[in-house]
Amino acid sequence: MRPSGISRFPLVRSALLVVVVWCAASFIYAPIFSVLRFAFAPGGDIGLGAIGELAGSRRVRTAIVNTFVVTGLSIITVNVIGIFQVAVLEYLKVGGRGFLRFAYSTPLIFVSVAAATGYGFVYGQNGTLTKLLQSVWPALPNDWFTGTLAVVFAHTFLLTSFHFLFLRAAIRRVDYSTVEAARGLGASSMEAFVRVVLPVLLPTIFATTLLVTYKSLGSFAIPSVLGGRRFDMVTELILTLNSLRRPDMAAMLSIGLGLAVILCIAAMQYVERRGSYVGGSKTPVPIERIRIASPVVNLAVHAAAYAIAVIQLVPIALVVLFSFAPARSIATEVLPSSFTLQNYVTVFSQSTAFVPLKNSLLMGASATMAGLMISLFVVNLAHRHTNVGTTSLDLSFMAPWILPVPFIAIGLILTYDEPNLLVANRVLLGGFWILPIGYAVVSIPIMMRFLRAAFFSLDPALNEAAQSLGAPAFYRFLRVTVPLVLPVMILITGMTLNVILSEYSMSAFLFNVNNKPLSIALFEGARSANPEQAAINLVYISLIMAFSLGIITLADRYGLGGGK
Amino acid sequence: MTRNHLLAGAMTLLSLLGTSAATAEPLVIYSPQGDERAVWIAERADAAGHDVTILTSGGGELFDRILAERANPQADVVLGLIDAAMATLKAEGLFQPYVPNWAEGLPEVYRDDTDRMVYKFWQTPVVIAYNSDMLAEEDAPTSWLELVEDRYAGKYVIGPTIWQTTKTYLIGMLLRFADESGEISDEGWDFMQSLYDNAIVVDSADAKTAAFVNKEAVIDLNWFGGVGRLADDVGYRAVMVDTEGGTPFIAEGIAIMEGTDQLDDAKAFVDWFGSAEFMSAYAARFGQVPVHPDAIAAAPDTVKRNATLLRPQPIDWDVVAPRVDGWIQRIELDIK
Repeated sequence: MRPSGISRFPLVRSALLVVVVWCAASFIYAPIFSVLRFAFAPGGDIGLGAIGELAGSRRVRTAIVNTFVVTGLSIITVNVIGIFQVAVLEYLKVGGRGFLRFAYSTPLIFVSVAAATGYGFVYGQNGTLTKLLQSVWPALPNDWFTGTLAVVFAHTFLLTSFHFLFLRAAIRRVDYSTVEAARGLGASSMEAFVRVVLPVLLPTIFATTLLVTYKSLGSFAIPSVLGGRRFDMVTELILTLNSLRRPDMAAMLSIGLGLAVILCIAAMQYVERRGSYVGGSKTPVPIERIRIASPVVNLAVHAAAYAIAVIQLVPIALVVLFSFAPARSIATEVLPSSFTLQNYVTVFSQSTAFVPLKNSLLMGASATMAGLMISLFVVNLAHRHTNVGTTSLDLSFMAPWILPVPFIAIGLILTYDEPNLLVANRVLLGGFWILPIGYAVVSIPIMMRFLRAAFFSLDPALNEAAQSLGAPAFYRFLRVTVPLVLPVMILITGMTLNVILSEYSMSAFLFNVNNKPLSIALFEGARSANPEQAAINLVYISLIMAFSLGIITLADRYGLGGGK
Repeated sequence: MTRNHLLAGAMTLLSLLGTSAATAEPLVIYSPQGDERAVWIAERADAAGHDVTILTSGGGELFDRILAERANPQADVVLGLIDAAMATLKAEGLFQPYVPNWAEGLPEVYRDDTDRMVYKFWQTPVVIAYNSDMLAEEDAPTSWLELVEDRYAGKYVIGPTIWQTTKTYLIGMLLRFADESGEISDEGWDFMQSLYDNAIVVDSADAKTAAFVNKEAVIDLNWFGGVGRLADDVGYRAVMVDTEGGTPFIAEGIAIMEGTDQLDDAKAFVDWFGSAEFMSAYAARFGQVPVHPDAIAAAPDTVKRNATLLRPQPIDWDVVAPRVDGWIQRIELDIK
C-alpha cells in the first residue's frame, strides 16, 4: 500500500514524529526511570533501604494487609452479586426485568469519587440511610459506615459493572440446548446453572474477577472518602509517603503495587488466550429464561433481586433528590420537603463553586485532544508501516496501561519537581499543565485500543477506489479515512472526558492551587460539615452522572459500550 | 463551549509564557494570612507606597510550594510561616541575609544573629484549653504529659500533622524526651504512642469540630486564637491552662528570597512590615501579639495582657528544624 494522508507531507510528518517521540520520552520513559532511580538508588548509591523502612512501618504493613483483605472480600462479594445479577437478567424469569437492568447498570455512571461521596452522603454521620437504619436499630452508632465494612460494601455494589458488561454478553453465547438436555436428565434449574452454564462462563468470570482485583488493589477514592479514621489502603499510603517527603519509599511502594497489578494482568491475558478454546456448538440455540418452579425459591430470588436494585438505586436517587433541595434540608431532613434550583444556580454562577468544574473541563478537553492526536498519529503509523520503530512507539504509549496510576503520578512528580531539560528547563510541578499531562498519559492506551480496532475494520478498497478516481492523498485522508473513523473518535473523546471528570487518583497526586479539579473539590466537600458545600457536591455528582449517562447512551447506540 | 475552552487554553499558555518577560511587577509576597488579613495588609502596604501582590494559601501548602519552586522562585518575600518552616527554608538556601531596621531591641529568640535572614514579628502560644462547662478546673490537665493518663482517654483531639499547630505541640512534647544532641529517647516514643492511642485522631477541621459538638472531646489542643474560635463555634466556655514545663510558642517570621529581582523594594517592605507602627496597628485590628517591645507598648491593653499570660517552653528551632521531617515521618508511619 502506498503511503497516504499526512505521510505525503514528509516535513509535517517528521515534525509530528519528533513531537510524539518527545512526548513518549518525557512523559512515559522519564517518569518510569525516575521511579526506579528513587526506589533503588535514592542518594546515588544502589540499595534496598526503602524496602526495609517500608517493612518497618506499622502503618504501611497495616495498609498492605487492608488492601489484601479488602481485595479478597471484594472478589467474593462482587462475584456473588454480579453473577446473581446476570442470572436474574438473562437466565431466570424475574418480573420487572427492564427496571432491574436499569438498576444494575448504574455502576456504569456512578463511579470513582462521585460514587464514594454519594455513599458517604447517604450512609455517613447524618445520612438519610443512617437515620433510617437507626430508626429500626437505635444502637447503631453515627459513624457505623467506616473501615473495611464500608469499603467492601461500596466495592460490592460499585464494581459489578464488569459483570454487567462482559458476563451478560457471555451468557448469551451459552447453547440453550445443553441446558435443556441437563433439565431433561432431571436437573433442577439451579443444578443446570451450576453444572452447565457456569462452566461455560468460567473464563469470563475469571477475567472479570481479575478486573475486580485490579480495581480493588488500586482503589483510592473509595477508601479515602469512606475508610474513616486509621484506615488506609496502599494507594493512600503512597500519597502520604510523598507528602512526608519520602519519595524513595513512595516510589518503592508504587513499584510493589505495580508488580501486583502486572501479575494480575498477566494472569488475565493468560486466561483470555485460553478462553478462546472454550467454544459452544456451531449453531447454538439462544438461551431462554427459565421459570423457577419452587414458589419459595422464586420469592427469595425476587426479593434478593429487588433488594440489590434498591441498594444500588437509593443512593443515586437521594443524591439527585437532595441536589434539588435547599441546603438547610441536608443533614436535617430524611427526605427533602421543598425543592429549588438554587444549588445549580450557585454552581454555575459562584466562582468558587464553578472553578473546579471549569478546571476539570479545561484539563479534560486539553488532555483528550492531545491524547487523541497522539493516538491517531501512532495508530495510523503503526497501521501503515509495521516495523520495529512503529511497534516500539506503539508499545511505549501502551505501557501506562499496565502501570498503576500512583506509579505514573510519582514518576511525573519526581521528574518535574525541578527544572528538566526535556521541558525547556521548566518546573512542571505546581503548575497547571502537569495534571492534564498525567490525564493524557493514562487515557492514551484506551484511545489507542479503540482506534486500532477502527483502523483494522477499514476497507482498503475504499481508499484504492478514491485513488483510482484521482483523489490526492491528503484529500483521501480527509474525505475517506477520517469520516469512517470519526464516530469512534467522537465516542472515545466523550468517554475519556467522562473518565477524567471524576478521575481521582492522578488528581490527588498532581493537583495544586492553580488547577484544583472537580474530583478534589468533591473529596474536600465530602469532609466539610457545611451544608452549602454538601449541596454543591450533590450538584457536581448529578452533573457527572448526567454526562456519563449521555455518553454511555451514545456509545450503546453505536455499539461500542458492549452493554447490549 | 469547546472553542471557549481552546481559547482559554491558549490564553493560559500565553500567560504562562508571559511570566518570563521582565516588567515592572509588584513585589510578590507569599503569606499564609487568611483572606481578610491579607487584604488588610495589602491595603496598608499600598497606602504606605509599597506595590505588592500577596499570594495566600495554607501554611503547609505554601511551604511545599516554595520548596517546589526553588529552582524558579516566584516570591520576593515570605512572611508568616512559623519557626520550623522558616528554619527549613533557610537551611535549603532559599533566603538571603537582611537585617531589618527593627531588629534592634528585638529579644534574642526572635532574631537570627548567626545567619541574619529570618526575623520574627509576632508570636502565638499553642495551648491546652478545656471546656469549663464539662470539666472542672481541678480535673483539667496541668501539663502536656498528663494527657496520656486514662482519665483523659478519648477527651482530646489530635489533628493532621500537616497542621502547623499539631506539629508544634507534638514537637514540644517530644523535646521533653530529647538528649543534648536532639535525639528522642525510647521513652519519648512510647509516650507519643500512648498520646495517640489515648486521643481522638482526626484528619480534618470539621471532624475535630464534630468531636467537640458531640461532647466527646472536652480538651482542646490549639493555637491561642483558635481556642476562642472553636469555643464560639461549638458554644462553650474555654479556659486555657498555664502548663508545667511551659507552653510551646510559635513565632512567625519574615525573610527575603534569595532569587528576588527587586531587592530594594523587598527591603523597604520588610522594614515597613515589622515596624512598631504597623505591628501595633495590626495588633489593634486582629488581636495578634507582636514580639517587638516597642510594638507591644503601642498595642491595646488586651494584647499586652495576652503577651504575658503563659510561660513559654524554650525551643531552639534551628536544632529542631532538620529533625522535624524524621519525627513526623515516624509518627505518621509507626504511631498513627
